[in-house]
Amino acid sequence: MGERIDWRTGETMAFPDRLDLQRQDLSQVYRPQREWIDGRGLLIVIAHFFSGIGAGAWLWSTLYDFPMGQALAIGCVIGLSGVAHMAFLGRWDRFWRMLRRPHQSWISRGIWSIGIFGLAAVASMLPAVRDSAAAPVVLGLSVLAATAILLYEGFVYAASRAIPFWRTRLLPVLYIAYGLRGGAALLLAVAAFGGSGFDVRAVEVIKLWVVVSTAVLILLYLVSSTRSGGAARESVAQLVAGRISPAFYGGTVLAGIVAPIALALSRDALGLPELVLLGAIGLASLVGDFYVKYCIVKAGVYVPLVAAEGVGSPG
Amino acid sequence: MRLGMVIDLKRCIGCYGCQIACKAEHGTRPGTTYARVVKREWGVYPNVKKLSIPVLCMHCAEPPCVEVCPTGASQKRSEDGIVFVESDFCVGCRACVMSCPYGARYFQDEQRDYFDTGENEYEQALYAAHQAGVVEKCDFCRHRLEQGQEPACSANCMCKARIFGDLEDPNSEVSRLIREEGGFQLNPELGTDPSVYYLPPDR
Repeated sequence: MGERIDWRTGETMAFPDRLDLQRQDLSQVYRPQREWIDGRGLLIVIAHFFSGIGAGAWLWSTLYDFPMGQALAIGCVIGLSGVAHMAFLGRWDRFWRMLRRPHQSWISRGIWSIGIFGLAAVASMLPAVRDSAAAPVVLGLSVLAATAILLYEGFVYAASRAIPFWRTRLLPVLYIAYGLRGGAALLLAVAAFGGSGFDVRAVEVIKLWVVVSTAVLILLYLVSSTRSGGAARESVAQLVAGRISPAFYGGTVLAGIVAPIALALSRDALGLPELVLLGAIGLASLVGDFYVKYCIVKAGVYVPLVAAEGVGSPG
Repeated sequence: MRLGMVIDLKRCIGCYGCQIACKAEHGTRPGTTYARVVKREWGVYPNVKKLSIPVLCMHCAEPPCVEVCPTGASQKRSEDGIVFVESDFCVGCRACVMSCPYGARYFQDEQRDYFDTGENEYEQALYAAHQAGVVEKCDFCRHRLEQGQEPACSANCMCKARIFGDLEDPNSEVSRLIREEGGFQLNPELGTDPSVYYLPPDR
């Protein structure tokens, strides 16, 4: 909180937070992005988290024929993610306008994907459709739309030319991997805490494989970012040793990578019932899935207008 | 025609006249400065340099903000290359804010006033033109151009550091300055091809 002097009374007044931050940002070489993380901006991270794990859960549930998981997936994508998306928009009453430019904008493609997924997924669960000849087509459409949801999120960020940390082909791959592991984690948690009719062991093996591969992906992403110019290097520095490091180490690394692997490897030593153990792995993974998206978005800094040592140098 | 601006960094004294003229012209709320002045200092005493760099929307030939806009609210005029926001179409997703390398876009979130006593008559009249929940930016003062005037920032520059004109006309003042004085763009490596050029301070 900054301060300013009221010119009429001479009293010291509190300077508004957002404006104070903005003023502070403008004086920095590396200006952090705030619109998609601070205040109401956090809702876009929450929206992408729920649509990612929802789409992933739909794919796993369809593969293993788990209706409860499918219902939950619809709730995540249409309910939770939909509400978060709407609440994030400055003018939600105009949301339909976002359908206008799928040929150019990844956000528009995402809205189409979510819309088609909602219709196809709900329809595929209706008994009338399920028992009809159209069932494979509708289900296939829902699977395609869920895949498109996993795909579009990373591209929304990667389309930002101004933020080098996001502008890489690895980011969409990372978002797809985290959507798939988030979906599996959700099903593990549901199966452990009251779900039924689902063989959790089948997903557990896949889940652990995905946890390990996402850890490798994160490492690759960070290493490649350090070679993408000053702004991307600054983002990595903020993640591993700066303002975002507590969330990165606590959420992404500890909860999202170390805890699931440690729990899986020490299952005999812990002596916990299998379902409880798998549920714990699922919950830890979900926390990690949220934090990886939070950290990546929070670490975004703009390419500098003016380099530290002069004008017009590339950042 | 491609309208553009040349900013002479040798002439600019960092007086913020352009920033104030812009705010007065558009009546923007606190935190929104379509035209702003960035100041940078570098070096070690006694070899220290200070530079004032006026920044505004670059009205890029390849505007990344138009590319990512899901509604078509961000547009580029084909007749003169001016990039603007059609506020009635904007949903406030801020994708354009993320994609603009020049920090030229402002999301109108909280409707704040400058004074605790609320809006005065001047503010009431000008704030009425701004919608809440949308993104706004410089439009090279389209309303002034229609009346044959130049943008408020360049009209008000007392050092004549801002020159406005047609970049496609080889005989215009802006084209001549870019050609003869070594005009350069900010962040050319991003491929946005800005219509705002800068003349080096050391020449």
